[in-house]
Amino acid sequence: MKKFFLHKALTVMAGAMVLLSSAAFAQNTIKIGMITDKVGPAKGYAEPVAQGAVYAVKELNAKGGLLGRQIELLVEDDQGKPDVSATAARKLVDSGVAFILSVSLTPATQQAQSVTRESKTPHMTPSNSGDTLTTQVDNANFWQTGPLGSTQISTLLSYARNKNYKRVALVTDNSDLGQLTNRFFKAELEKNNIQIVSEEVVPRGSTTADPQMQKVRAANPDAMFMTGVLTPENALILRSYRQLGLKAPILGNYNMSIPVYSSIAKGLLDGVVFVDAFDPAKAETKRFVESYKKDTGTEPYNLNGYGYDGIMLVADAIKRAGSTDKDKIREAMQSTKAYKGVMGSVNAAYGFTDGKRTGFDTNGMVVRVYEGDAQGKVVHVGNK
Amino acid sequence: MNDFLELLVGATASGCVYALVALSYLLITRPTGVINFAVGEWSMLAAFGGFVLLSRLSLPYPVGMVLVLGGMFLIGWATERLTVRPLLEKGAPALAPILALLGMLVVFREVVSLGFGPDPQPVPPSFGFGRLELGLIAGSYQSFFIIAVTLSVFALTWYFFERTLAGKSFEAVAIDRRAAALMGINLRRVTSLAFAGSAVVAGLAGVLVSPNVSAHYLMGLPLAIQGFTALVIGGVGRVEGALLGGLILAFAEQFTVRYAPVPPGLAMGVPLVLLIVFLLLKPTGLLRAREARP
Repeated sequence: MKKFFLHKALTVMAGAMVLLSSAAFAQNTIKIGMITDKVGPAKGYAEPVAQGAVYAVKELNAKGGLLGRQIELLVEDDQGKPDVSATAARKLVDSGVAFILSVSLTPATQQAQSVTRESKTPHMTPSNSGDTLTTQVDNANFWQTGPLGSTQISTLLSYARNKNYKRVALVTDNSDLGQLTNRFFKAELEKNNIQIVSEEVVPRGSTTADPQMQKVRAANPDAMFMTGVLTPENALILRSYRQLGLKAPILGNYNMSIPVYSSIAKGLLDGVVFVDAFDPAKAETKRFVESYKKDTGTEPYNLNGYGYDGIMLVADAIKRAGSTDKDKIREAMQSTKAYKGVMGSVNAAYGFTDGKRTGFDTNGMVVRVYEGDAQGKVVHVGNK
Repeated sequence: MNDFLELLVGATASGCVYALVALSYLLITRPTGVINFAVGEWSMLAAFGGFVLLSRLSLPYPVGMVLVLGGMFLIGWATERLTVRPLLEKGAPALAPILALLGMLVVFREVVSLGFGPDPQPVPPSFGFGRLELGLIAGSYQSFFIIAVTLSVFALTWYFFERTLAGKSFEAVAIDRRAAALMGINLRRVTSLAFAGSAVVAGLAGVLVSPNVSAHYLMGLPLAIQGFTALVIGGVGRVEGALLGGLILAFAEQFTVRYAPVPPGLAMGVPLVLLIVFLLLKPTGLLRAREARP
């Protein structure tokens, strides 16, 4: 009997200790929420960005955390679905996060804003490129720090200015983001009085892009812009392009900067021009690549950098705010300026000027060209 | 005209892939009445098998192909044994195995997505990525290879059903299950073999198409839809119907994109319109099933 009581008392005590210590732990951490897509269509992009964010938190915590407290990253999966994304945002707000990072699809991030706007929770996406995220909803608590679709095309056009393209082809896919990117490319091309002589769509799940490439070949454009974001379909386009003997130079959106092309489009990439936000020669980038590699054993690439910069920008704002008060963090975030991160050209810096909430330096994207199957050096910077 | 002939080869090759997927549906549907939407995921599994054996381990193409298809035979057999048969033995309604197989679709996809990650992976073609020109007719090596393999598969399947006793037992089960059982045909074995054969054919489609589309975890569903459309067009009754349906679908798709004066986004709707038209006007497909002879 005695033994039983002793046992019980010990169990209760142990339980109480666990409760106390977890409460103490929870009080001492700064919680940052992240909404990613682990199973949906954005997984291929969202997960590497999320990995970069996880690494950034690890690095910050190793250096003593933030405001003397450790950072706790709460990760939610929205499956790339807008409604689930809003629910995930609600859950994060209820668990008391100081900031939410969205790295899923653009429409999902858009929907999650309904929650952050209402609850006045600071919220940002380091990777979504849709131009409309900060303009459609008037949400003072939301920022976007990835390069916009419109910046991608203006950078490519600035690179191509001396090439004097008059008639071009546009090839995209039927994904949401592909269509959106295509729209920005088209608008910018039309603004520059460049005629679009062929506009093609290679739908998800196609087994060939031959008919589309035949049409492009028949239209005989000066250049071909690729605005799709589905990697397998882009590889399909490149294969048909080579097979059918097309010669017009290819200019690709930032999707062409993902390293996976080197394996699935092997032998098809030489000479392909693409826009990127990653300059391996930049000092900040070099340092990131080295420390990331040392810690995780894998070489990071541009998508990892987005997540890393996202967390670092948030940490910078919280540090300047000096507390986790949402209003103070919002003010600190909005006054971010000249912050040099991993992403962007050598001189690029993040900042929210003129009350805008898009923070990527519009003059900070770079143009690179594939040399064989490897991504070559930066050949052009900015969109001026 | 050159464009037309060039497209002919590519479109025929695409049609052959659809036809193989349609045949994969048909092999199960004919004797059992079950529609298995996981055929697309079977293609995906085989594509990843091709990636592991042919790209990573660089096995010779025929060896890799035989191993992949052997693996698919086992997967098809196991799928039937573990998901369909227990349901039928417990007397579940006819819809139950279809739903269970839909569940398997998700299982297959997520297993691959967890194991290989979301990035697409390369699978090599049989004879490299070169291009063959035969007078006016031109196409990639892989296109010609796909066409040759598919025609052989269809010829073999036709021979099996029409000329061998085992094949006739399939046909008998398709025509009248109960009568076939009474005649001493082993229904279980027919069902097992139907699933295993179906997985092999779906796997073949996966290995053949993956040098072009890459192996990735989302490749199954589009193939399943294209194959299903081909099946509806050709009809579930006859093996030749699958081939015919696949070719018609691919021609409709690609010649619309190339020649029809419609905005690029709308050309994608053509296969769906075709599907609706056939479901409305000719729900049994172009080729009719053979009926019991009086």
